[in-house]
Amino acid sequence: MSATRTPPRAVSRTRPGPQVLRRGGRRSPLRQLGKGVLVALLLVFTLFPVYWMLNSSLDAQAGHTSSFWPAEPTLEHYVFVLTEGGFGTFLRNSLLVALGTVVISSALALLASVAVARFRFRMRTQILMLVLIVQMVPLEALVIPLFVQVRDLQLLETLTGLIVVYVALALPFGIWMLRGFVAAVPVELEEAAYLDGASWGRMFWSVLLPLVAPGLVATSIFGFITAWNEFIFAMTMLGGATENYTVAIGLRSFFGVHSNDWGAIMAASTIITVPVMIFFILVQRRLASGLTAGAVKE
Amino acid sequence: MTAPAPPTPSTPMPSTRAAAPDGAGAAGGVAGGWAGRARAAAVRPWLLLAPALLVLAVLLLWPLVRVGLFSLQDYGLREITTGEPNWIGLENYREILATPELWTVVLPNTVGFAVLSVVGTVAFGTAVAVLLASLGTFWRTVTSSAIMAAWAMPAVTGTYVWVWIFDADRGVFNDVLMNLGLLDDPTNWFTNRWTFYAIVLLNVIHHGFPFVAVTVLAGLLGVPKEMLEAAEMDGAGSFRRFFSIVVPQLRQVFAVVIILSTIWDFKVFAQVYLMPGGAGSNRSVLNLGVWSYVESFGQNRYGFGSAIAVLLTLLLLAITAVYVRTVLAEEER
Repeated sequence: MSATRTPPRAVSRTRPGPQVLRRGGRRSPLRQLGKGVLVALLLVFTLFPVYWMLNSSLDAQAGHTSSFWPAEPTLEHYVFVLTEGGFGTFLRNSLLVALGTVVISSALALLASVAVARFRFRMRTQILMLVLIVQMVPLEALVIPLFVQVRDLQLLETLTGLIVVYVALALPFGIWMLRGFVAAVPVELEEAAYLDGASWGRMFWSVLLPLVAPGLVATSIFGFITAWNEFIFAMTMLGGATENYTVAIGLRSFFGVHSNDWGAIMAASTIITVPVMIFFILVQRRLASGLTAGAVKE
Repeated sequence: MTAPAPPTPSTPMPSTRAAAPDGAGAAGGVAGGWAGRARAAAVRPWLLLAPALLVLAVLLLWPLVRVGLFSLQDYGLREITTGEPNWIGLENYREILATPELWTVVLPNTVGFAVLSVVGTVAFGTAVAVLLASLGTFWRTVTSSAIMAAWAMPAVTGTYVWVWIFDADRGVFNDVLMNLGLLDDPTNWFTNRWTFYAIVLLNVIHHGFPFVAVTVLAGLLGVPKEMLEAAEMDGAGSFRRFFSIVVPQLRQVFAVVIILSTIWDFKVFAQVYLMPGGAGSNRSVLNLGVWSYVESFGQNRYGFGSAIAVLLTLLLLAITAVYVRTVLAEEER
């Protein structure tokens, strides 16, 4: 997996010295041993749930005996989940919802971020504060009125209704993140284009857009993950419309009244988790720096 | 009530119409070519903002107002269908405050858990960052990749995995304890309030510490090496160096990390709701969010649920405000 090679490069490039906090030069074997133990413990804690998910998903005996490696290796859980389990439909639904969310919220966020990063106008600060504050509102507080609102629009149990809600959820963070990227583009470039007689639209398409493309990718991935993982609205709004279930709530169909099909649940969980993991590895640097943008210096 | 970052450190507040005066790009060079002619410049930001503001207003702000309005009504299925209001004043709030469970169960579960998980996540994440910073390239690579994997696990699937690990009949946790002779019979860890939340805590810390670790590590690597070396020459030990040099340098980073963790940990919903008994059937594990949800969508008491949601929101805003004020006060000092 070539993607796993991304993080180290990112880290090592900014790293001033090999070991920032080490006592200069001294390297007692005891210290090294202690550190090794800590790293081992950390790796076990971090990876065990991931490993256990994979292990159970590949074991025909999952749910009967617990073994630390697949006692009877099989792909049957994946086959079941994707065929009889109907997970293919859930995947398609999630993909549609996530892509719809990404396209709309990124476009709106880009326009808004140009406004707040490139112009100074009355209420600019207030708008930025608004964007921050709405991110703190708990979803439990929004789900009741939005349920009523989406119901009034007759969009309950539809994917469109879900996209509408997810665009709103992804937008504030998207604006916040893209604003940093737009601000980082040297304004001189646009001034030069302007002096050369470029129109407003041309400045946007030919100068700004290519330069903020990485930021747009990061924002899109964030929007995708938001929509892909979201649970409370999907559960509330899709109700009994099983054919429109997204992956996050489709999982529940493998829970039985008396016993749960853990092999199938873990196989489905793996299918859900893999795209997110890939995206995370791709976007990790931007994610951390986007969240803290402006905190250190700007 | 700003949060992660003071939004406009570079913007002088009074410059209400800085872009207006004659001459393109005259607005301190900031607006640049975008400003164009004066009149257009005043309208353009609003044109760009309009779609986003519309979405925020209709889908976030108006619902917030509405949840407040619902909370003052006996809002049930009939009101949803007819759309007619049914005002009862502060009756919902009175009922909430008079519910003994609020004080003995729901608030402790919400606030106590949030405090524990913020402290746990930030402390553990920082410790991991320090460990990572002290590693050589290879092991740092391996470890940070593993951390990414933990971070990427969606809350829903992560919760199911923890439920499966601690499952009463078939879970690996019980199995291992029984094989080691530490446990005689399979135990259901989800029925007891304390063990239930211990599992939620494990889940939340596992999911939340990578962000802290990655962010703090980035900060650690930015601390000037010369300062650390100078302190070492002066005889400062590694603890002393960490708390006297690194922590003050990273105050802003910690502020962001703590505020964001608080916001996230107060909003823990799926991690509780998806656990056995977490969806309302076990009353002793209710928190504000789940209580609001099950009253609304389980009992069709949307007004009562809204009132609980309003309390949760106010609690969250109050805590954030206190944090932000503390951070700002520190900065001014």
